[in-house]
Amino acid sequence: MNAQDLIDELQETVLGQIARANKVAAMSPERLMKRPAPQQWNVLEVFEHMNLSSGIYVRGLRKVFDAKAAALKPNSIYRPGLLGDYFTTGMLPKDDGSIRNRMRTMRMFDPQRNQGASLQSISAFIGMCEEQLQLLERARSTDLNGMRVTSSLGPIIRFKAGDAFRFPIAHQARHMLQVERLLA
Amino acid sequence: MDLVRRTIERYVPLTDAEWSRIAPNWQEFAFTRGARICGIGQVEQRFYIVKSGVQRLSFPHDGNDLCIGFAYDGSWCGEFASFLSRKPARFEVTAVTDSALLGIQYDDLQQLYREMPIMERWGRLLVEELILGRAVREVEQLSLSAEERYDRLMARSPHLLQLVPQKDIASYLRMTPETFSRLRKRK
Repeated sequence: MNAQDLIDELQETVLGQIARANKVAAMSPERLMKRPAPQQWNVLEVFEHMNLSSGIYVRGLRKVFDAKAAALKPNSIYRPGLLGDYFTTGMLPKDDGSIRNRMRTMRMFDPQRNQGASLQSISAFIGMCEEQLQLLERARSTDLNGMRVTSSLGPIIRFKAGDAFRFPIAHQARHMLQVERLLA
Repeated sequence: MDLVRRTIERYVPLTDAEWSRIAPNWQEFAFTRGARICGIGQVEQRFYIVKSGVQRLSFPHDGNDLCIGFAYDGSWCGEFASFLSRKPARFEVTAVTDSALLGIQYDDLQQLYREMPIMERWGRLLVEELILGRAVREVEQLSLSAEERYDRLMARSPHLLQLVPQKDIASYLRMTPETFSRLRKRK
């Protein structure tokens, strides 16, 4: 795939997520804490879950970009990794907005079994998205095939840098739909 | 926001003009269950009024979490000592259930104290109440038996049992969960 087109598309998705998060942040605490069932997440926990999981990639990308990005020759083509592509496709919501498969949350990404969530989780999400945008901008002048980032699935699976953008942003898209369902 | 006004007016009357000066300083906050409202070592930035939910004030000691107090609907919440002294908090404040709080920043509150005698009076009455409450608890802690401490708490805040885990109440009363459970069954 064309690397610049991929970056455009991802940036557009993230910009949309930031805009929506800003609107959601202004809603009443009661609405943001409403649960469909006692054990299910509320809106704040969904945002915190995205911070916990996407944070791994943002930190990993920042590190590998600082170490290597400037030294790599820009490459206009991005070839997704086998696993990265498989997981991204499974994660992406379908065009009609439905979700392919329900997943179990790993303990380390479940706010209820970590530090909980607060309004701060939404502003932290927005901050994290802004860093994703910056990293995507830096990605324009390097080679996304040439760097790897440890995935959130465990240290054995390492994604190519391009997939370390695609996978978490697809995951965010999925959970932004969950936010809409919770607010509906 | 009406809750803030009603809460302040339990101590001092406010005119609409005074309230319109006070109101913009208060902000809404939300913490889901398990979330830390103030961590040990942080400086508490805000003084909260509880709109809904239960919060716990505690600190780790000998591998256990020692619970030193609760806050719930209509009461005060936060690490007050740290808020006043601007020194690192010695206790942590956690949301036991999903909590909606209304908070005011330290600087904003001080500014209101300086500008509005009625707010300073409110602040004084509030601190007096907190000190009196602390004195009662201190006497209870030092002089009462476990059974008497249990009875006093249940007379004062019977709803607590529905709101927080029994182990937290047991810790608050300085007894083991086993003693607590035995005292409960006794009735």
